[in-house]
Amino acid sequence: MTVVALDPTGSAAKTAPERRLAVRPASLAGAVLGLVCNGLGRGEVLLDALAERLRESDGLAGVVKVVKSSVSVPPDPDDWSRLTDGVAIAITGFGG
Amino acid sequence: MPARRHEWPDADAFQEDAHERGWTDGLPVVPATPEKVAAFLATVALPPDEVLGRVPTREVVVTAEDAAVNAVMAGCRPEYFPVVVAAVRAHLDEMGNCHSTTGTLSGAAHAVIVNGPVRREIDVACEAGCLGPGFRANATIGRALRLVIRNVCRAVPGFLDRATYSWPLRYSFCFGENEEASDWTPLHVQRGYAPDDSTVTVHSVMRMVSAWDSTARGPEEVADTLVADTRHHGITGDAFLGDGISIVYVMGREHQRLFLEAGWSKEDLQGHLHARLTAPATGPRDRFVNVGRPENVLVVPAGGAGMAETWILFPHLAWAVTRPVITG
Repeated sequence: MTVVALDPTGSAAKTAPERRLAVRPASLAGAVLGLVCNGLGRGEVLLDALAERLRESDGLAGVVKVVKSSVSVPPDPDDWSRLTDGVAIAITGFGG
Repeated sequence: MPARRHEWPDADAFQEDAHERGWTDGLPVVPATPEKVAAFLATVALPPDEVLGRVPTREVVVTAEDAAVNAVMAGCRPEYFPVVVAAVRAHLDEMGNCHSTTGTLSGAAHAVIVNGPVRREIDVACEAGCLGPGFRANATIGRALRLVIRNVCRAVPGFLDRATYSWPLRYSFCFGENEEASDWTPLHVQRGYAPDDSTVTVHSVMRMVSAWDSTARGPEEVADTLVADTRHHGITGDAFLGDGISIVYVMGREHQRLFLEAGWSKEDLQGHLHARLTAPATGPRDRFVNVGRPENVLVVPAGGAGMAETWILFPHLAWAVTRPVITG
């Protein structure tokens, strides 16, 4: 017998706008790198070291670092703006 | 906009396609026919597009219809649906922190704790075996919340669910407080509701630890065990959560009996525990427990006789949020 049923992903499918991955830069030379530190463990130390390596090896123009005010929530809106307005590529980690 | 309809030639085809589309937790699901979904919505007298909550970081809106579809699929009876709605509202409260608690590496689960008359009306198990299988209301209400989290909030393993291991409590975790076991103030009354109200409290669970002590002969000894086993792990917290983090002690009958015989109220126990949980840490296995106030130490009697045991439900990065069960 034919089964008719409703889609359980309802609103997710209906409300989420289509998102596409940003174009990946071919090189980091002259680019501004974003760092998003989530506040867990020694993540900030790790990301600082990674940025320093990239600055030396790839010729970054600068680094914008954001440290989340709380582990449990995304960055503050102002920090999001600093990232979206000013960096070509960003690195983060997640955990907890 | 109503949910999309799909059609399959038979029940087997539906089942296989539901798995193929990723609509299930790996177990069979019930087809959410328009008639069943309408019957569920009628129990709460809500329009299909009533918004129960949002997950802003995922651009997700959860409607009553979304919850009903997933509750049908989880195997709920219609009369369970008001409890499911309350659970979804509680979880999607800002302080329930859906994004963090469902995406975390730690694989946090969500305990759905039911209080008030609805427990007996729909047979939510509160006594022997209540944390395990065999009880339809417990199994399907907890599963309904999980299916909402998966299907609507998009916490799919490998996608927005980044759990390293995840754990079995993520299939379903729902039980009731055994309010009739004593004259202790039930959880929902402590949180401002009337005894005749029914509520759901959703508590994120990062780890669940058994505090087993069969040699204690007095309340202080049991409390010492609870404190030591809690401080072994500790709770950190952060600025967003402030002093609102809770810990839940699912207290077994053998432990509760010692407090009752000594004349302790639930509030006495909460104050006693809070003072000791929040004492300064003394080492790597004696850690500070960041629960801001005595009322954040949630004591929930449940379970049967025999084991001298209390289960400690450590929080993930969320508050324990309580919402009323409202029928239409």
